[in-house]
Amino acid sequence: MEPLLSVRNLTVTFGSFTAVKDLSFDIHEGQTLAVVGESGSGKSVTALSIMRLVELGTRGEIEGGEILFRTPSGDVIDLVQQSESTMRDIRGNQISMIFQEPLTSLNPVFTVGNQVAEAVILHQGLSKDEARERVLETFRLVRIPDPEQRLDQYPHELSGGMRQRVMIAMALSCDPKILIADEPTTALDVTIQAQILGLMRDLREQTGAAVLIITHDMGVVAEVADEVVVMNQSRLVERGSVYDVFENPAEDYTRALLASVPRLGSMAGTTTPSPFELVEYER
Amino acid sequence: MTAEAPLIEVENLTKHFPVGGGAVVHAVEKVSLTVGHRETLAVVGESGCGKSTLAHLMIRLLKPTSGTINLDGTDITSMSNRAMRENRRKLQIIFQDPFASLDPRRPVGKAVAEPLIVHGLAKDIDVDETVAELFEKVGLTRDMVRQFPHQFSGGQRQRICIARALALRPQLVIADEAVSALDVSIQAQVINLMMDLQSEMGLSFLFISHDLAVVERVSHRVAVMYLGQIVELGPRAAIFENPQHSYTRRLLDAVPVADPRVRRDRPLMTDEIPSPVWAPGTGPAHVNLVEHDPGHFVAVED
Repeated sequence: MEPLLSVRNLTVTFGSFTAVKDLSFDIHEGQTLAVVGESGSGKSVTALSIMRLVELGTRGEIEGGEILFRTPSGDVIDLVQQSESTMRDIRGNQISMIFQEPLTSLNPVFTVGNQVAEAVILHQGLSKDEARERVLETFRLVRIPDPEQRLDQYPHELSGGMRQRVMIAMALSCDPKILIADEPTTALDVTIQAQILGLMRDLREQTGAAVLIITHDMGVVAEVADEVVVMNQSRLVERGSVYDVFENPAEDYTRALLASVPRLGSMAGTTTPSPFELVEYER
Repeated sequence: MTAEAPLIEVENLTKHFPVGGGAVVHAVEKVSLTVGHRETLAVVGESGCGKSTLAHLMIRLLKPTSGTINLDGTDITSMSNRAMRENRRKLQIIFQDPFASLDPRRPVGKAVAEPLIVHGLAKDIDVDETVAELFEKVGLTRDMVRQFPHQFSGGQRQRICIARALALRPQLVIADEAVSALDVSIQAQVINLMMDLQSEMGLSFLFISHDLAVVERVSHRVAVMYLGQIVELGPRAAIFENPQHSYTRRLLDAVPVADPRVRRDRPLMTDEIPSPVWAPGTGPAHVNLVEHDPGHFVAVED
């Protein structure tokens, strides 16, 4: 089957610095792809390039490559070549994104219901009352308790986990084909992280949207991903199914990364601390 | 643990913060614990559970509302700042963000030398040599002392903060989420360094963390905090292999497992931790800890 999104030989630069070099991968419908890597590996720049946000404000430049997106009508378009007005139509509507820190992504002076409604009014031309209904529906979808009351609350009145649910509700409100989640649970406590990861898995089944998740956490990758792209120093290191990458990593870097992941239960049967057995790799 | 007296002993330590209108945040509520010599006690819990407040109380960056802190047999709870100075040498802290913990305009060698100078040790020793040795001890090189913080990576900066904490040859180092901001490969290196230093220098650690997988690696004993109180405390093996309190189990269940074969279907919960803010005249119910097996204490649940 043809991929929903195909990134081909993407190269992104910031002045003389190459943040992403010759990167290629595909995402298929209903699939969750994780891009994993350490800080500075280029994973967030990859996400921002797909949204074509990398050129805005940050002065990044997509120097080469294609980002082929299959639109709902079946046409394949190269997002790199699209005008800003076309991109505005796609962003939040067909491809939407959630970020690490929900508090900085929400406007403090509007109620959360209002902010989610804005997206559906803008993209789907709903009336105010229809929008409110649609927001309620998405709040229920992301399992916000007492959605009728929450609708009229301001971001500061919600906990971090609830705010991230609001962000996910906003991202899903227009039924996007692809949801890009950049470190969606990194700022959350572990019990809330478990809730949000479970929710994201559930939502994929309910909505059929493909998910591109950017993370540094191999635990998160193992929990949600079907396919994995490992990045290091702007380049793709390894790509494969989540089982291949975890059980049979082909590259030294992936092995080194996996060796340094603390694993719960690894110390069973012992009583004293013990150091990590680190794997060396050539940088 | 051995029968020798603990290095630090905290009893019924409590910290309340007023938040206006008479309401009070019960940040730390009657916490009692000990850290032995050459022991690592990990304190785990989620944001707002009071673990950092506890650390700040123990190093006397905050004044407790009530309770006592005994360091090596001396009550330091309300010691004068002058008298505290000598004791502070024994207690050092490393914070989460090494970027915020170093002055961007000072060479890092100066930052590491500062505690030696402040404590009046500079006249008896060769400061430059001591600092250079500290740099080597934490896996950096001597020639780095003249460089500035921006020239180092996050992991290197945290090593510098560790070198600074070790300058006064402390007995207890409090690591407040000290490896949380680091990439995993760097995090593993820094944790290994801390373990090496523990066996080399006989250090004790109070290791504050939200990351249970890291805690399992580093600790001898573990205290689980929830809403300002300890709900379970015991040897690491008991906490991880035989957890008794429902909150400990819930925390352990929530940790993502780095193995796609053991992907679990979790019930979709939406509940949250209640607020630690209490209206005037009200307060949390105090939990009672009962010894479940030797050294393993569990809060009684209704």
